[in-house]
Amino acid sequence: MTPAEMRARPTPSEPAAPPRAADSLTVIVTVSERPMPLDELYRQFAPAVASLGMPYEFIYVVSPWGRGLTVPLRALIAEGAPIRLLEVGPRATESGMLIAGAARATGDILLTLPPYYRVRPEALGTLVERVRSGAVDMATGCRSRSGDAWLNRVQNKAFHALLNLGVKDGFRDIASGVRVFRCQLPGEIALYGDFFRFLPILARSEGYRVEEVVVPQHEADQGRRVYAPGVYYRRLLDLLGVYFLARFTQKPLRFFGMVGSAFGGVGAIILFILFVQRIMGEGISDRPLLLLGVLLFVLGVQAIAIGLVGEIIVHFGAGNRRLYRVREIDNDPLEGDRSST
Amino acid sequence: METPQPGSGSHGKRDGQKVSRLSIVVPLLNEDGNVPLLVGAVRDALPQDDSWELILVDDGSTDATPAEIRRAVEQDPRIRSVMLARNYGQSTAMQAGFDVAAGDIVVTMDGDMQNDPRDIPLLVATLEEGEYDLVAGYRMDRKDALLSRRAPSWVANRLIRFATGVPVRDNGCSLKAYRRDLLERVRLYSDMHRFIPALAAGTTGARITEIPVRHHPRRLGQSKYGITRVVKVLADLMTIKLLRSFRLRPMLALGGGALAALAIGACFAILAVVPMLTDPTYSPSVVFTGSALMWLALSVFLLMTGLIAEFVVQDYQTEVRGHTVLAREYVP
Repeated sequence: MTPAEMRARPTPSEPAAPPRAADSLTVIVTVSERPMPLDELYRQFAPAVASLGMPYEFIYVVSPWGRGLTVPLRALIAEGAPIRLLEVGPRATESGMLIAGAARATGDILLTLPPYYRVRPEALGTLVERVRSGAVDMATGCRSRSGDAWLNRVQNKAFHALLNLGVKDGFRDIASGVRVFRCQLPGEIALYGDFFRFLPILARSEGYRVEEVVVPQHEADQGRRVYAPGVYYRRLLDLLGVYFLARFTQKPLRFFGMVGSAFGGVGAIILFILFVQRIMGEGISDRPLLLLGVLLFVLGVQAIAIGLVGEIIVHFGAGNRRLYRVREIDNDPLEGDRSST
Repeated sequence: METPQPGSGSHGKRDGQKVSRLSIVVPLLNEDGNVPLLVGAVRDALPQDDSWELILVDDGSTDATPAEIRRAVEQDPRIRSVMLARNYGQSTAMQAGFDVAAGDIVVTMDGDMQNDPRDIPLLVATLEEGEYDLVAGYRMDRKDALLSRRAPSWVANRLIRFATGVPVRDNGCSLKAYRRDLLERVRLYSDMHRFIPALAAGTTGARITEIPVRHHPRRLGQSKYGITRVVKVLADLMTIKLLRSFRLRPMLALGGGALAALAIGACFAILAVVPMLTDPTYSPSVVFTGSALMWLALSVFLLMTGLIAEFVVQDYQTEVRGHTVLAREYVP
């Protein structure tokens, strides 16, 4: 196939799958920071999953350092519990762990669960049903915070206020980590680094129907939490990243041009004023304002130059990048052709 | 003059597949009232055979547009639909239509019934004369509000013409006809549909002409444009201008900027040093020295950015070389 043909070929249509009796569920637990005992986690959640009446399995994805944590699971596995263990490399991020888990999952529906308690076990059924019925492509748990510590609530509110300032998607609990979606979804989304956290936003910008479902919060999640300052800084950088990715991936020059024009514009005004003053005979060799003017102008030009490089990348890459997702195509003479690829 | 090659499109190469000669692509956003009117008007304006297809692209409408499209598709096998998963914008919706279009000639028009399908045969006939790769319609007698629509549009067209050097009178008119080869060389993204002629002429060397078309006032539904798009158009214009001039030689732009920054920095350095020639005890102005150093830093930065940009272009050129240039054989 020539590049032209690949380019001309649209993405296959993916209608929302109707509910099938044969649906099966894979629970993926990415064992990252502050895990609880993994066997206890299974004992808490497995009955709720089993009560859904569909075949299920648990996949624990661990880093090499977390190997010891899986020891208690051996007894469960010996008893015949449907548990699989997956070890990833030492540098894998949570996104990588999810992709690795999803690639080996046998279920049609995936449920991600953090290795600690966020929601009550009965919440899982509510979320799975939303996806299983075909109503949405992704259901993500939003903890009802009526019993939560006030500090947690304030942090959560502040974070989402900042998030919605840029992304405007109205999510109220992006970080619950309890999400249900069809198994094809992770492969369709550019998922890397820390963006695991923002999976619902990325999924929505890919055209998936994402719904936040209010579910009861787990009691163990209600204790007051304070993080190291570095964690808050990383979250802020994440926010900036997801804001850029959600709004400007196709038009970097618009973003950098905006920033650059603002800096450069102020710098230009300052320089112009000083220039006029110099013409009028005032000395400017001892005016720190000149330094500020030059600095702002230089920053502005740099921002625009970087935006231009970004724009060139997008311009040439547009042919290979998928620009849109199709829900359905009708009267398509190429229908048979497409499903074979 | 050459005859259009039936196999020029990637879809045309398959054996036993009936190839429509003309594809009409219409992006639709919340136009449920206009869909039946549009379908009726297109049917009336074109021959009663299957020499054409109408591709309705739903750009994530929230009203009954998808249902109306489905109804139209069931009634007529010449009507096809592409339902996008969310609202992506007009450019992407058009591209989605192009990607499934099977015709050798592709016509785009708006779904708001302000364009008149009766103009399509003339556009196609002009294109088929073979002299042009793109035939753009321009609205003779625009039926829109003066202040909010026509005035900004007049300014925008002049700016686009000035910035791109492509003399298209009415970039905002969607009614255009393209040779398929051309569309395969232009990839629309973001809000670039307004600049297809500029993009096409700049990157592929397409030959463009314009003919007058009819324009009707909007009867049903809401306009999706507001005065706020002026800022976006301006930003996109800068983008197009920069891309058109420098996409294949970014070093020219960035290296030129580096040289300018170096020159300005040198001026400041001279300002800082010159008083020392007459007065050896004079210590150079910190402000001038600092300014000179910053300009120097900018110069180095732009030079390095230029190198990275060259690297990017070279990386992609291995794939696209010879592909974006629109060429055809001819007999003298």
